[in-house]
Amino acid sequence: MGMSDAWVLPLLPAAAFVVLALFGPYLPRKGDWIAVLAIGAVFVLTLPIIADFTDALALQGEDFAGVANSIQWMEVPGHLELNFGVHVDAITIVMLVVVSFVALMVQVYSLGYMKGDARYGWYYAVISLFVASMLALVLADNFLLLYFSWELVGLCSYLLIGHYSHLRSAAEASKKAFITTRLGDIGLLIAIILLWRETGTLNIQGIIEAAQAGEVGREILTASVVLLFLGAMGKSAQFPFHVWLPDAMEGPTPVSALIHAATMVVAGVYLVARTLPLFELVAGGTELVLAVGLLTAFMSAGMGLVMTDIKRVIAYSTLNSLGLMFVALGVGSPAAAMLYLFTHAFFKALLFLGAGSVIHATERQEVGQLGGLWSKMPLTTITFGIGALSMAGLPFLAGFWAKDEILVALLENKAAFALVLVTLPLTAMYMTRVFVLTFLGEPKEPEAHEHAHEGPPTMAVPLVLLAVLTLVTGFVVFDQVGEAMGFPGGIGELIFLEHPHAFEFEVWVTLASIGLVALGIAGAWFAWVVRPELPAQAMARLRPAHALLANKFYLDDFYQAIIDRVVLTTARMLAWFDRNIVNDTGVNGPAYTTGFVSYLMKFQQTGKLPNYALAIVIGVVALALVAFSLKA
Amino acid sequence: MTVAQGIFYLIAALAVAGGLGVVLARNTVYAALFLILALLAVAGIYILLASEFLALVQVLIYAGAITVLLLFALMLTRVGDLEETMVGAQWPLAVVASILLVGLLITTIATSDWPGDADGMITRIPFETLGEALFRQWAVPFEIASLVLLIALVGAIVLARDEEGDVEEAE
Amino acid sequence: MEAVAQQIPLEHFLVLSAILFSIGVYGVLTRRNAVLIIMSVELMLNAASINMVAFAAYTSPAAFTGIIFAIFIITIAAAEVGLALAIILRIFRNRGTANVDEVNALKW
Repeated sequence: MGMSDAWVLPLLPAAAFVVLALFGPYLPRKGDWIAVLAIGAVFVLTLPIIADFTDALALQGEDFAGVANSIQWMEVPGHLELNFGVHVDAITIVMLVVVSFVALMVQVYSLGYMKGDARYGWYYAVISLFVASMLALVLADNFLLLYFSWELVGLCSYLLIGHYSHLRSAAEASKKAFITTRLGDIGLLIAIILLWRETGTLNIQGIIEAAQAGEVGREILTASVVLLFLGAMGKSAQFPFHVWLPDAMEGPTPVSALIHAATMVVAGVYLVARTLPLFELVAGGTELVLAVGLLTAFMSAGMGLVMTDIKRVIAYSTLNSLGLMFVALGVGSPAAAMLYLFTHAFFKALLFLGAGSVIHATERQEVGQLGGLWSKMPLTTITFGIGALSMAGLPFLAGFWAKDEILVALLENKAAFALVLVTLPLTAMYMTRVFVLTFLGEPKEPEAHEHAHEGPPTMAVPLVLLAVLTLVTGFVVFDQVGEAMGFPGGIGELIFLEHPHAFEFEVWVTLASIGLVALGIAGAWFAWVVRPELPAQAMARLRPAHALLANKFYLDDFYQAIIDRVVLTTARMLAWFDRNIVNDTGVNGPAYTTGFVSYLMKFQQTGKLPNYALAIVIGVVALALVAFSLKA
Repeated sequence: MTVAQGIFYLIAALAVAGGLGVVLARNTVYAALFLILALLAVAGIYILLASEFLALVQVLIYAGAITVLLLFALMLTRVGDLEETMVGAQWPLAVVASILLVGLLITTIATSDWPGDADGMITRIPFETLGEALFRQWAVPFEIASLVLLIALVGAIVLARDEEGDVEEAE
Repeated sequence: MEAVAQQIPLEHFLVLSAILFSIGVYGVLTRRNAVLIIMSVELMLNAASINMVAFAAYTSPAAFTGIIFAIFIITIAAAEVGLALAIILRIFRNRGTANVDEVNALKW
């Protein structure tokens, strides 16, 4: 398996999807083992590809720009040439590791979590397709395949969020996710078409090179970059498209883990990282990314603080993290963004799977109904705690290193730096809060507490593995660790060769962030453990602020109002037009006309033989006359 | 006008008269008898064309067998009297169409350039030559024609036979 | 094969054939009784036969294909009459009439 053979990877889970979708019900265990084997094979096959990559890197050093391997799909000579192919470079490698490993963990975990589900086989089929499309997305060397996979990811997320389709809320949430991301997808599609029209190619690297050579007009480039970012915002749930992500919690918890850690939302980050050179060519391009990232991170940190659903809190933490990634991209440091994405994948999957464990054990997910679970579920408590602290940014855990990188990258932009610093204690606070309310203190519903138990090994093993990774992955920032793993010059050199950036440390930044995180944790500890009555008092005193946060800044209501007023009104008008003009006149009109003319014409069919014979004779005579007149 | 020409015009007049009788006679049996006249006249034409064999066949099969068959059919399908009560409603149009047709045909004949002798030299074919040709050169079409005849007869029998249960209907 | 001089031009036979044919057509168009229609069809067939024989005698006396054709036409006519009469009989039994303008099952 070399890098150019990477096209095999998406095909394995795609094949699993086909087999499961067609024959799932007839297979033993509904075929879950096929899905798990497929994704396991993907993970195993990723390893030689990484080895091949490090070899190439050692051989060619910084000149190594990735390996591309594509086949021609169709060609209109002189007009259009469509290729399908893979492009493997450093970003792809990071994404491959994240996607394949997290997907493997989620699928193994689902063996226990989804057991007994009515649509168990279908769940595994779709989740295989989900992984397949995400792999194709990160491997794609052209925008066509990327867009194709991009839409498939959206479709799979729709299917999986709506997995419990008998619940109205789940159906609504899946619809919301699909439509919201669609809005962004349209932007992406237009951007792709614009870029293709300007450069004549769909190849991503080709387009970037053409743009850098100045072949794309400034206005077109600006427009397409903005539209491209629109797509990324939709998929990565950035403000103002972030509303779908918290609702997406209606899906099964392992799906949330997959969506948040490895597949759906990181697609946007990946897309921006991949096309960052385009953003840098446009005045204000990176600033736009930075602003959106900051806004999202800031808003989500506030909302995370008041949410009462354990999964929703984690969902807002994801928004927070995604915001940070975009901030890093916005200041031109894809290395920091990709590092954050890499470590985030592990601890976010860990958090969701831990939350899933809790829900599986208690069938409750409101923190107000949980509490005291540490005595019943020590393993979940410890692993979830590790994840939460990593998210909060406690030193030496994965999240700490990545967050620190972003801070260092932000040093030149004082305002952004300050804003990110403010979010740090908030993040630490709500993560501590959710941990405290769920696992510590007294059980609020003794009955649920009574029945709580650890999940089966299929659920425990992924938790442990992810927890271990959360503990250690952060250390890849040290060049020595990277070298030991076979990456010449450390991981930082690897992740973005065009932006040489070894991981750096600024002592005072580190200290400040540690201090702020500690402040946040301590504050949370004080508020929810030492003085449990404090939050209620604060809530009473700051009622407007709390209402604002708990209602998610009223954005959902705003959107709903727009849908009710504008969208539905327009739709009604269009429906009227469609029914009366298109259908009744345009479609039925010719049909009625035909029917009426036929009615008139049918009377010539007398059924009497002599009439027909006369018609024949008249025809012959007429034809003969015509022939004569032509001859004459 | 030679004798042959005189005979031709006579026979032709008989043929046309017979034909008109077939299509105009009010009595159906008269129509059938007029048909015999027309067919015999056509046999005479064949003799004028030096095809005696064909003339014999015409008399035997057409004027004999087929006409008898038609008379039988008339008898079997008779409802009331033999007068045809009504000519089809479209007869004016039919007159126009027929006159146009004959006009066109005659115009075509008159304006076309026909091969052959202008003074009407024709060749007599002896019976032997004809029989030899029919059973050697035309053996396969001959056999096929006989097969067609056989199939037609079988079909006619099948169609005309009384089936179980439709006797009542026929009454 | 001897040649006979008759002084009758070919066109005369053709005109006779055309007249007979048109009379047959008129009969087919106006007659109501199916048997009479068959008779008119016989007139048309005979007209065609006259054409064949005349052409054979005047243009290719050595091959006399036209005469052979006329024989086949007579054969087919016999078959056709047999079959047609069977059909007419059938219709008469089923509908009580042999008048074609009363048989209009093909109507709208």
